[in-house]
Amino acid sequence: MDIASRKTVGKQQPTNAKGSLKRSDRRFAYAILVPAMTAFLIMVAYPFFDAMSMSFFQYTIYDLEPIFIGFDNFVAVLTDPYVLGSWLTTAIFVVGTTLLTMTLGLAWALLMYQDFKGRGVMRTLTLLPWILPSTVSAFVWAWMLNGKYGIVNVMLLGAGFIDSPIQFLSEDIGAMLAVILTRTWISIPLFMSFFLAGLQGMDYQQIEAARIDGAGNLRIVKRLILPHLKPVFLVTGALGMIGNLQQFDIIYALTGGGPVRATSVLSIEVFRQAFENWDLGMASAIGVLWVFTLMPIVIFYLRSLFKED
Amino acid sequence: MFELRSWKAKLGFTVLLLTIAFFLFFPVYWALISAFKSNQELYRLDPTLVPNEFFWGHFVSAITDGNILLQLKNSLLTSTSSALLNASLAALAGYSFAKFDYPAKKPLMLLILSAQMFPFGVLLISIYPMLQAVNLLDTKLGLTISYIVFALPVSTYMMYSYFKQIPNELIEAAKVDGASNMTIFRRIVLPISLPAFITVTLYAFMWSWNDLLYSMTLITSEENRTIGPGLLLRYINENNADWGGAMAASFLAAAPVVMVFAILQKQFIGGVTSGAVK
Repeated sequence: MDIASRKTVGKQQPTNAKGSLKRSDRRFAYAILVPAMTAFLIMVAYPFFDAMSMSFFQYTIYDLEPIFIGFDNFVAVLTDPYVLGSWLTTAIFVVGTTLLTMTLGLAWALLMYQDFKGRGVMRTLTLLPWILPSTVSAFVWAWMLNGKYGIVNVMLLGAGFIDSPIQFLSEDIGAMLAVILTRTWISIPLFMSFFLAGLQGMDYQQIEAARIDGAGNLRIVKRLILPHLKPVFLVTGALGMIGNLQQFDIIYALTGGGPVRATSVLSIEVFRQAFENWDLGMASAIGVLWVFTLMPIVIFYLRSLFKED
Repeated sequence: MFELRSWKAKLGFTVLLLTIAFFLFFPVYWALISAFKSNQELYRLDPTLVPNEFFWGHFVSAITDGNILLQLKNSLLTSTSSALLNASLAALAGYSFAKFDYPAKKPLMLLILSAQMFPFGVLLISIYPMLQAVNLLDTKLGLTISYIVFALPVSTYMMYSYFKQIPNELIEAAKVDGASNMTIFRRIVLPISLPAFITVTLYAFMWSWNDLLYSMTLITSEENRTIGPGLLLRYINENNADWGGAMAASFLAAAPVVMVFAILQKQFIGGVTSGAVK
């Protein structure tokens, strides 16, 4: 498209030397890139490489200058059961949240695709969990899951599922469930929107033809809708995993990584090392592990994004 | 789409609808009515679904006892300026990528988009000493600049996709009339891209308004504190938690974003989904 446009520009302006026009266009194209590129270099690229190189130094609050120690931080990271445990915690959180979000997001998108009275209002209201500040969402769920007066406990007790209230935020599994649930709650709106956008691109006649052939609701979902949404699944799945791997706010506000380390994912671990222990070298080394965990998913995501161009 | 003729299909559909709707909406309702309950009614093992009496005390104490208004002001200031800054950078870069052709285009675009790969927490390790070195630690300006990392990649892509749809003829016609590239961008491209620009601004605004990590770390004084960490620091103590106050303050913190969204949600959701999956 761009090459074609330049060609026609050249044709329509015979008075201009083709080369000079190209050059001025190109100069403009580079010039308007400068602000974003500068911001990127200063706020993303430099900090990133700085953090990466810091992982080879011993640099804590007690060191006046960083001391080069080679791979020592990495040896410490890879032999530290806490860090490996944190990696596992991250994996549980990311996989659990992404799967739950995609399942519920898809179910909700299918329901919101159906024409019924009040659908418009419901679709709009669905966005609410997504736009709430993370501290607010954490508060909402901390109150819902409160160990004494929380409505979830009241309901479970009332229904006879449990005999005594569950101390969600002070039990290992309960805390993990709480952060997964809260994060899923926040992410469903966006995923519903992705799936809904995918559903709207469907050929409706196909569904009608299948109906005439006698296919039921479940069969249509399985044979037509799910295959149609497959590319959307891949991209949104990658996007969801990237987002959940980066997640800090909800977990910190809800459990602070605890009880003890039960929900201490990599983001919390880096934060603790950097801004509680002020050990920037160790924090960076854990950061490297984090980046390598993220990288394959980001590469997959970017590739699928560019494939269509 | 679904055919709900049989009672079984109807029942299945309704049950699924109500279950997920309950999960999505009930927490918001519960938080809201909890803000209006007096402590006496709040801490009960048989809670009421509708407050017996609407109690405004939590709102009053949320506003008068702390710095919530100052924190809201700080959040509004940092989030709005960083959102506008982000949208401007994204618009310029997106236009360059969408309507010009040059050798370094694809690698540069990939570079900006790949910023999503760098965890914000890792970047923060270096941003903190960097801001300290230029005396921007614990300033609203420092926080505003740091917020650019969040939204710039996706914003640029969203602007790029929008500009791509603008017919080249429009730009060429203006060029024939002798308009410079900058004039075309400012007078023709930007005005018709206003919906996308607003969407991107909102998207970035939401990122910064909802942020906790950066605002908590880069702001250390009460005077510059924003709403997210402000709420957390005030109400986090679980032992003597003031849940009514926390819910009332949450309501106040969420109100600005919710209002903006209520007005602009339709175009917004279209913009974000097209930016991410197309």
